[in-house]
Amino acid sequence: MKYWKRIMALLMAMAMIAAACGGSDDSSDEAEDSGSDTEAAEETADDDEAMEDDEAMEEDSDEAMEEDAGGEIATDIGVDDEVIKVGYNTDLSGIFAGLTTQILDGSEAYWEIVNENGGIAGRMVEPVVLDNAYDVPKHLENYEKFAGEGNDGVVIFGTSTGSPHTAATAEDLVKDDLIAIPLSWYSGWADPAIGQNVFEVQTNYCLEAINAVTYMSENHGSTAAIISFPGEYGQDGAQGAKIAAEALGLEIVYDGEGAVVPGSDQTPVITELVNSEADFVFATLNPSTLAEIMGGAVGQGYTGMWTGSSPTYNFQLLGTDLGPALDQYYIHSTYTALWNTDDTPGMTAMVEGMRAKRPDAPVSDTYIQSWIGGYIVQAILEQAAANGDMTRAGVVAAANEVTVDLQGLAPNQTWSGDPNDYVVRESYLYDVTLDTFTPEGTVSDEGAGTGFTLLDGPYVSDTAANYAYESACFKAS
Amino acid sequence: MADSSSSSPLAGLIKSPSLMALAAIVAAAAVFLVLQAANDPYTFLQALMKSFGLGAVYALIALGFVLIFKATQVVNFAQGALAMSGALFVSFMVSDGHIPFTTIRNPLVDMSPSWLGWFLSVLVALAVAAILGLIIERLTIRPMVGEPLFSVAVLTLGLEIFLRVFNNDAVKIEFRSLEVPWGVDGFNIGEAFVSWSYIAAMITAAVAFVAVFFFYRSRMGIAMRAVAYDQEAAMAQGINVGRVFAIAWAAGAVLAAIGGIFATQPPVAQTGAVQVETQLIAFRTLPAVILGGLDSVQGALIGGLIIGFAEIMAGQYASGQTDILGAGYPLIVPYVVMIIGLLIRPYGLFGTPEIRRV
Repeated sequence: MKYWKRIMALLMAMAMIAAACGGSDDSSDEAEDSGSDTEAAEETADDDEAMEDDEAMEEDSDEAMEEDAGGEIATDIGVDDEVIKVGYNTDLSGIFAGLTTQILDGSEAYWEIVNENGGIAGRMVEPVVLDNAYDVPKHLENYEKFAGEGNDGVVIFGTSTGSPHTAATAEDLVKDDLIAIPLSWYSGWADPAIGQNVFEVQTNYCLEAINAVTYMSENHGSTAAIISFPGEYGQDGAQGAKIAAEALGLEIVYDGEGAVVPGSDQTPVITELVNSEADFVFATLNPSTLAEIMGGAVGQGYTGMWTGSSPTYNFQLLGTDLGPALDQYYIHSTYTALWNTDDTPGMTAMVEGMRAKRPDAPVSDTYIQSWIGGYIVQAILEQAAANGDMTRAGVVAAANEVTVDLQGLAPNQTWSGDPNDYVVRESYLYDVTLDTFTPEGTVSDEGAGTGFTLLDGPYVSDTAANYAYESACFKAS
Repeated sequence: MADSSSSSPLAGLIKSPSLMALAAIVAAAAVFLVLQAANDPYTFLQALMKSFGLGAVYALIALGFVLIFKATQVVNFAQGALAMSGALFVSFMVSDGHIPFTTIRNPLVDMSPSWLGWFLSVLVALAVAAILGLIIERLTIRPMVGEPLFSVAVLTLGLEIFLRVFNNDAVKIEFRSLEVPWGVDGFNIGEAFVSWSYIAAMITAAVAFVAVFFFYRSRMGIAMRAVAYDQEAAMAQGINVGRVFAIAWAAGAVLAAIGGIFATQPPVAQTGAVQVETQLIAFRTLPAVILGGLDSVQGALIGGLIIGFAEIMAGQYASGQTDILGAGYPLIVPYVVMIIGLLIRPYGLFGTPEIRRV
């Protein structure tokens, strides 16, 4: 009996150790420390290499400091003489936590580098991180803290994760003179009637789909099948695919817009796809559902090509049993350049910055979003500083003036003028290649890759170039 | 209603117009399927094999529910999280190459032939799953002996959430491969594609049910049945109720783990990898458990097969009717079948009428 008690005690101890290990990663720490995250602002590590490599950041910061030296800068909430607070209302413990914590990690690395280069207008950037757990009420609760005048009050949002979450704050953003960069690519964000202070970055789901379907029709046939989740993400992409099909005279042999309900058996969709014998499939799903449908269809002998909105595909799918089929049949469409696939200044800065600041981080394309978000917030804040007005209203005004140079990571970005003039129309198409995929690589591994070979990009199809943007491609009734 | 349930179901069916209507619907569906099979036998065969594969996975997980319920009178809502944990243990063993919760290298991954090393690694992972079941039982269920069953059921719901947090933290957005030897490969019977994973699930389910059949005839099995019948009387007869509980939970955790492994395989998933969605398999299984009868081993098998058959056949032959049925209709089909079954047999097809349910 004593023996069994000892065994039980040992097992309980092991379980407690495992539990302690499981909860000690960065994301959990961040979730617990949901107040002001001063880590980036206080970081003084001697990573001279990263500092030297990021010349663009340094020059911009210097310029801003000169402007600051020339005169007083008005401030109100989220900015004082020493600190600029940038808000991250993001998912640290919900269903997208794995993805969003990586993006946040990259963002914090970005601000550490900026701060080491003197910050913005002589002030250190302090990311304020609150966990929305991908829950709309929690997102709104956090928003109140960010919008308030307390310790968590910020001058701008670096990330607002989730389409319905961001939409729920759209009116308050205007009222509070705050702007948010959504981690969402819904085409409605460019419509002033929907998201006046929601500053969308890169190509929206709809235009991305137009490009992808055009590319597929030019290279892989003229009959298309469209499958998507219901809702703003899925159906925005599906509508874009239909706009392209109509403009190009393609035949949609299976229209599965909104037909894919996550969590259910996907036999109906697989059956219809296989029966349709489409030359290619355009999907707006998530990676696991794509895997279920594509694996089922390929298993039943379907040999058409596949593409889809980002993030339908995740490079980690290459490490699963579906890897060979993805290598053979999948073309990845996305809005940005991908990890270490070119040598643009932005890519070089990002790769070297991550290697300096997070050498053990897993290789991932998510850090591109971190750097793009960083470039944008930095450019807006520097413009505000140059204008001598870093109040919230001043930052909103500055955001409407800037054109952000994304250093080749994605097409440059502006939000001034008519949305039809400034919506981004370029996207990128990559061949999925199993032999360039390294399953457990870190950012420090020179040869680490996420399994992509650029086919075309920045790519603007004639269909997308000629598309007149007036409002969202898909509006929920 | 209790009286009618104890009489012949057929007699009850004839007396009730609504049941007659249901019987007519079932008969019409059967005729429709026969016609489809005659028209395109290979497509029907393909769907049939897929339905057996799905049904076998449901049956395995349902069996875990039933074992725990029979011993403890509690519906274990943590079965899905246990399924994912078990699959994760396999991933730790074969993909990461170390024993779960340790840095000790798993020597079995280097074994030749590799499939033998994989199989033995799975056995070790199942042993770890059993230990997890024992720990849960000892720490959370045993202290609740004699307490209201509803409280215990809610406690298992809390366990589900607790385990899910750790599971999700281990998986994040990754696809943790189980490196199953047969992968997504299969074979053809004429034009019908049959995945090897369907066959593996059917064989595993058959072995599990035979093992449980013989277990219930062993000394411990008889003790478990006695505890299920009356805990206090069993204790008075000198049966160690705590040990019965522990064995039931260990066995339930192992069955959940086996179900979790197959939940990464066709027809449930195609990646052969653990994902956060893996744990949903238990909730998909619930209609099979209820339909078969919460306390019936054969009910778990038949309920699993019926629900698997209904789900796949509806998906195959009603796929063009989403305008009428709605896009998510496969989610509803198991519950419709369950309701029809419960209208005919309120305690499940093989359930015992006396049992209390939560």
